Amino acid sequence: MKTLKNKKQHKKEGPEKINGTLRRIEQQLDQAADKSEDSSSDYDFEVVDNESLSEDEGPPSESGSEQSEPSGNEDVVSSDDDDGNHDDTRNNRKMDGGESDDSREVIEESDSSEDEVAPRNTVGSVPLEWYNDEEHIGYNLAGKKIKKKERQNKLDSFLASADDSKSWRKIYDEYNDEEVELTKGETKLIRRLLEGKAPHADFDPYQPYVDFFAWDDSKHPLSNAPEPKRRFIPSKWESKKVLQLVRAFRMGHIKFDDKPKKESNLYDVWADDSSLAERQGLAHIPAPKFKLPGHEESFNPSGEYIPSQEEINALQLIPEEDRPKFIPQRFEFYRSVPAYDKAVSERFGRCLDLYLCPRARKKRINIDPETLKPKLPSRKDLKPYPTTCYLEYKGHKGPVVSVTAESTGQWIASGSNDGSVRVWEVETGRCLRVWDIGEPVQQVVWNPLPELPLLAIAAGQDVFILNTGLGSEEEQKKIEELLHIETPTAPDDSDKNASLISWGPDEKHGGIRLKHFKTVSSLEWHRKGDYLSTLMPHGESRSVLIHQLSKKLTQRIPYKLRGLPVSSAFHPIRSIFFISTKKDVRVYDLLKQKLLKKLEPGVREVSSIAIHPGGDNVIVGSKDGKLCWFDMDLSSQPYKVLKPHKKDINKVSFHRSYPLFSSCSDDCTAYVFHGKVYSDLNQNPLIVPLEILRGHASADGRGVLDCKFHPRQPWLFTAGADSIIGLYCH
Amino acid sequence: MPKHYRLPGKKKEGNAAKYMTRSQAVKYLQVSLSVFRQLCIHKGVFPREPKKKVKGNHHTYYHIKDILFLKHEPLLETLREIRVHEKKVKKAESKKNRNLAERLERHKPDYSLDRLVKERYPTFVDALRDLDDCLSMVHLFAALPAVEREHIEVDRIHKCRRLSHEWQAYISRTHKLRKTFISVKGIYYQAEVQGQTVTWLTPHALQQVLPSDVDYKIMLTFLKFYETQLELVNYKLYQSINVKYPPILDPRLEALAADLYGLTRYLDASARASLVESIDVRPSGSDQNEEQQEGKKLEEPELRLAQLQHSLSSNEPGSLMRLVDDVREEDEDDEETKECRNFFKGMKFFLSREVPRESLLFVIPAFGGMVSWEGEGAPFPESDSSITHQIVDRPTQKRMFLSREYVQPQWIYDCINFRVILPTDEYLVGRVAPPHLSPFVDNEEEGHVPEYAETIKRLQAAARKEVLPLPGAGEDDLGDPQNLQGIIDRAEEIEAAEKKRKMAILQKQYLDELKMELESCQYHDHSDTSKLKDAEGPDAEDSLPNLKQIAEDAENMSKVLISRKKRKLLEAMEIGKDRKKAHIKLLKERKKRIDEAQKSG
Repeated sequence: MKTLKNKKQHKKEGPEKINGTLRRIEQQLDQAADKSEDSSSDYDFEVVDNESLSEDEGPPSESGSEQSEPSGNEDVVSSDDDDGNHDDTRNNRKMDGGESDDSREVIEESDSSEDEVAPRNTVGSVPLEWYNDEEHIGYNLAGKKIKKKERQNKLDSFLASADDSKSWRKIYDEYNDEEVELTKGETKLIRRLLEGKAPHADFDPYQPYVDFFAWDDSKHPLSNAPEPKRRFIPSKWESKKVLQLVRAFRMGHIKFDDKPKKESNLYDVWADDSSLAERQGLAHIPAPKFKLPGHEESFNPSGEYIPSQEEINALQLIPEEDRPKFIPQRFEFYRSVPAYDKAVSERFGRCLDLYLCPRARKKRINIDPETLKPKLPSRKDLKPYPTTCYLEYKGHKGPVVSVTAESTGQWIASGSNDGSVRVWEVETGRCLRVWDIGEPVQQVVWNPLPELPLLAIAAGQDVFILNTGLGSEEEQKKIEELLHIETPTAPDDSDKNASLISWGPDEKHGGIRLKHFKTVSSLEWHRKGDYLSTLMPHGESRSVLIHQLSKKLTQRIPYKLRGLPVSSAFHPIRSIFFISTKKDVRVYDLLKQKLLKKLEPGVREVSSIAIHPGGDNVIVGSKDGKLCWFDMDLSSQPYKVLKPHKKDINKVSFHRSYPLFSSCSDDCTAYVFHGKVYSDLNQNPLIVPLEILRGHASADGRGVLDCKFHPRQPWLFTAGADSIIGLYCH
Repeated sequence: MPKHYRLPGKKKEGNAAKYMTRSQAVKYLQVSLSVFRQLCIHKGVFPREPKKKVKGNHHTYYHIKDILFLKHEPLLETLREIRVHEKKVKKAESKKNRNLAERLERHKPDYSLDRLVKERYPTFVDALRDLDDCLSMVHLFAALPAVEREHIEVDRIHKCRRLSHEWQAYISRTHKLRKTFISVKGIYYQAEVQGQTVTWLTPHALQQVLPSDVDYKIMLTFLKFYETQLELVNYKLYQSINVKYPPILDPRLEALAADLYGLTRYLDASARASLVESIDVRPSGSDQNEEQQEGKKLEEPELRLAQLQHSLSSNEPGSLMRLVDDVREEDEDDEETKECRNFFKGMKFFLSREVPRESLLFVIPAFGGMVSWEGEGAPFPESDSSITHQIVDRPTQKRMFLSREYVQPQWIYDCINFRVILPTDEYLVGRVAPPHLSPFVDNEEEGHVPEYAETIKRLQAAARKEVLPLPGAGEDDLGDPQNLQGIIDRAEEIEAAEKKRKMAILQKQYLDELKMELESCQYHDHSDTSKLKDAEGPDAEDSLPNLKQIAEDAENMSKVLISRKKRKLLEAMEIGKDRKKAHIKLLKERKKRIDEAQKSG
């Protein structure tokens, strides 16, 4: 652009070139002062805001002042910015061929017009903000600081500008630290520049072009190449492009109806509702509607819905996923309710639920909890059964571990941890006899035969068989005979059992004493009263022994047990023997000497078993408070598992004649159940819980240790850890 | 051979054949996951819970029939086209072919969902039944700012605003609104349209927070469907009241952001126009006069044009029939609608400028009140002497007209919820209003009745005139607060007496039951019990825990025999009950504490 303008100037100056006088230079100078376009054209388009304007207004002012300057300064060396311009002009000059030197001078003069006034600023081309905080700006030749002019404060400058009508054309030149007033011509020029026109009004950018290159005279063409063919034939690629476009128009790929108007295509979709259009696809499961808000969601809930500060603090301790999502708040006025910050998040969550959550139809159980409980026959019809504590037998000093009833039902015997065994009269509660064994008694069992009123007692490593002294004289004689032991029998036995068991008379109490090699935990009489089984949990392969009273013989059960034996029992009718370990119950045939069955209660630890007098049903009590009823004909899994107790079951027992069974536990209760077994094999046993018997107190964390039914009456004896024996009658 | 081994070529059976995981489905449909998601949202296809999860627990399962249903959807092809088109645009952009990119952008393939709406909701009632989420979403977006970064465009926000206003205008016009509730989360409204209860949530009219952890694409996909659904529903509803849809609004009111009022006016005008047009015999009825009066103030040429168009369309032989229908419809309105229509009848409300206008402009006309507000285009100015209530929400009101009551906005909502014009004393300017209760709660079932609910119950009883006013006091005095207090007291007394009687009955019943149980089960022998009684005659208190013990025992015993599954169920039920009880107990405790604090303080 610059070169072009220069060229134009040459054109103008063309006719005048003959008069290369000083006068003409001066004329030119005037012109340049008006225009000053060349040097300032670099800034033309930057003049937008005031600041840049104030920076850039240097050149015009200089050119303005230039008028007063002597023209002798015209040879001052131009600044770096203008170097390029000079080159251009020089080139132009070469093109001009033999243009006069005058014109060159003129151009140079106009170009370097800004340099004509020596800038008062001596800082050089460093950023002015470096001097922002200083009082001075640069140094003069003498090395003294050039002080900045004091600037008026804003108020004063505003007042001054309000007073002065010319203030709008005053501009502060920061570089030279002075205020400059623009002339009329300069403002005009600036205005033109702002409008994007050529700076000088007289300048015509569209004047006719005069071709000053003499084409005809040149002897040699600039290029001798022939015109290429492509200048004469239509372009193939252009036509291809056109063809492509045309095709696109025809095919409708390019449409001219830009922005296709969206006409509302509303119509009544459900106009033909009557046709009963069915929903396609699978059965639709509608999403559940969102929960309706309760009182606590109100902006002003009643006071009881707002948690106290402590409660809110306590919520912080709850893991975040369990914490309630919404904490009620109270705003006294509607105007103080803020926007809910989780509004979008909650709606988004709902959206996710709607399309991501698997849906399934769930039947809402809207039933009365009572209907879940099984229908049981009325307990009234199942009478009699023990309900109330009728008598308490007091006398023992320690927890009563075991209680047993004589087969006639007139007497009971009990053993306690304090090492005493007592015989009581049932009806009166009178203590008939006391033996002091010396060691804590484990179990006391009465011989099942009525004519043999013997008592088997397990205490420590010994088993005593004592004569109670009841019954007629004849019977007493028989018993004396039976209990008589010759001393030499002991070595005989020792041959068989390697002196582990020794039969011997008990001098102290007058009976038989069987010495075992390990602690005896439990005893059981055979129904015929001749055999007695003892259990030594730590006796390993000889842990279960069967003693024959009449022959004073001992034999061990020839079966291997897995786990510690807990309890044993004889079948009430057949020669079948039950041994329960902690895990399961094993049933052996004593005649055939083989394992018949293994019952798996699936409880933590079996504590006791009892056999139904019919022999086909077994109940197993466990240490997790469960009671399993096995129907041996049915399966080796329990027919029914009851959980009556919260703590360990210590003992379970059946009644000999009534359809009753009971369990007693460490939670100080004994349960009485009705357990009816039908002779019809198709009918399952009927089990009905009848009564919870309370009355015992807890001692050392133990409750009721033993329970036995009266052999004739529906009464229950319970032995408690509180050293009391209770009799519960109907 | 393992049980699950299948010979090659043998078909799958059971759950493995019926269900496929999401990734399988995506692969099967040959689309990207986002397209699959869009399809699912538009078609309303959701994962299902198979009985046996063949691929594992951590998968989402779709029924094979659902996927086939998607496969045959023409929309699938459109979505693919859109994807292809997006690729084209991207390509053009990366090749710096801006012209092509712009042109392509202008001709983006679009799809409409009206067919899907019909498919998902075969009958209109179905669509209404499932309108809750739709309305909540549209109302939420109507309050959101347009964010270019999240592709929430201004047009859609405006459309949401328009649709929500149209819906509200219909509800308001037909007096279908039943309950409102200002919660912290926003305002809940419940309307009953064609026998369907529709509940929706509107955010408070404040600047909403746009969280960054939300995928707005999903929400916009939902919104696209919901917009269509609501538009079609609105169309049908407007058609049902003989109004042209989409309504043409008064541009001035629109500019004043009083769209809702504009819509209401439009509805009124068009209804009246049809009325006037059809009864040619008396063209200059009172209605016309009224219209003219209002027209002086506000009527713009466009609105008139709209009316004219409408009247032209209704000027056909069937129009009279339609009018008759209209009248009959009004007669057929159920009791509740009638009650709602006349609830605020004769009352004139004026809203101060600090009151959230939009909600009240919707609610008050829905219950038959007249409402105006401070600002341009309002139907009547503040100085109107016939105004009965002015709704204000500021600490103090300086200039007061004696002829009207200055109440807080909560008063309106409470009145509506309980269908009784509450005394305004407690809702006056600057007072802390009584608690705002949720109308969606059944207090009896919840187990805890807030104090204010009881007060309101008494007021309701008083309003229903179950309690006759004191002799000498006329019916007009019923509105007098002091008289009302008397009535409340009497109502209270009656209620208390009734409660006492009920309690007595209950107690007796309980005792009887206990006795029955005792007798039937016979825990003790008769002789025993008599003995016991003789022994413990004087201190009968001892027998009470005994009874309790017996009841507990019976409970325990019945539980002993239940199978494990049922026992677990029973326990779960009990846990739920206990939790509820604990909650009620907590509430009662807090209430007690508050009362004590009030007494001492």
